[in-house]
Amino acid sequence: MADSQFYLRYYVGHTGKYGHEFLEFEFRPDGEMRYRNNSNYKNDTEIRKKAYVSQAVLDELKRIIEDAEIMKEDDNNWPMPDRVGKQELEIKMNGEHICFNTTKLGSVLQVQQSKDPDGLRIFYYLVQDLKCFVFSLISAHFKIQPIQK
Amino acid sequence: MSDHGDGPEHMEEEQEPQQQRIRSTVVAGAGKKKGRGFHEPEREEGDGNARYEALEPAGGSGPAKSVEGWVLFVTGLHEEAQEEDVAEAFADYGDVKNVYLNLDRQTGYVKGYALIEYATEKEAREAIKGLDGSELLGQTIHIYWAFVRGTSKGPRRGR
Repeated sequence: MADSQFYLRYYVGHTGKYGHEFLEFEFRPDGEMRYRNNSNYKNDTEIRKKAYVSQAVLDELKRIIEDAEIMKEDDNNWPMPDRVGKQELEIKMNGEHICFNTTKLGSVLQVQQSKDPDGLRIFYYLVQDLKCFVFSLISAHFKIQPIQK
Repeated sequence: MSDHGDGPEHMEEEQEPQQQRIRSTVVAGAGKKKGRGFHEPEREEGDGNARYEALEPAGGSGPAKSVEGWVLFVTGLHEEAQEEDVAEAFADYGDVKNVYLNLDRQTGYVKGYALIEYATEKEAREAIKGLDGSELLGQTIHIYWAFVRGTSKGPRRGR
């Protein structure tokens, strides 16, 4: 199948008082899920986990992405990454490849006031759904509660 | 790592070989590219030699055990399904240790999937046999293993 090369990566982070703090996860074409979460607050160490998810999990992930229609969007008019932070979403699916970035979005109000509220809203909610998806998988498999960022 | 070697949940650590980020390997020959992210320099904390904890070494086939049990992945759930509906259906096959039923962040309705955990592989296997393709609130649901003993060589077949 053409979409056997499905790939997804999401990163959110910033550099501040506690160094480079970030959350990153990715799903590779063979089902390998990688998860990294680094917070230096109170000398926390970086968490790195990996596991293989089944094809059904990848298929559901693809369904969520397709339903959101994020591949039709463009990050041209989204707020640039800045000192507040950076988000990056990379998806390769059905012969298309996106790698969008923007700043950390604090609220839906910030989305509405941007130059591309419709596109950014799709990103904003998709990212929350993806994090939710990954946190459930990580927490079910490893019994750790990921830090919500 | 300090948790290395203690307890039954002893986690295996692997030294990753020098590995390029998938971004640069998978992309070759790909279709349309779009987004500012392609113009960014790679971050220094790339995956390079990162050590990832995994519960067991990759390899083999079939379902993989999670820390405290066996996790199933349910799809096709009705958007108004409640946790109790799901837990009740799965309770017929064993003691359900955990249910993760996530909501769509925009609409507040059920996103359509759930994770179900049993303590034993037998219970989980029975639940797949008994519930895959059955109806819950008028919708056909499908049940799969959530985690598998993957190999790192290419996409796998089947579910």
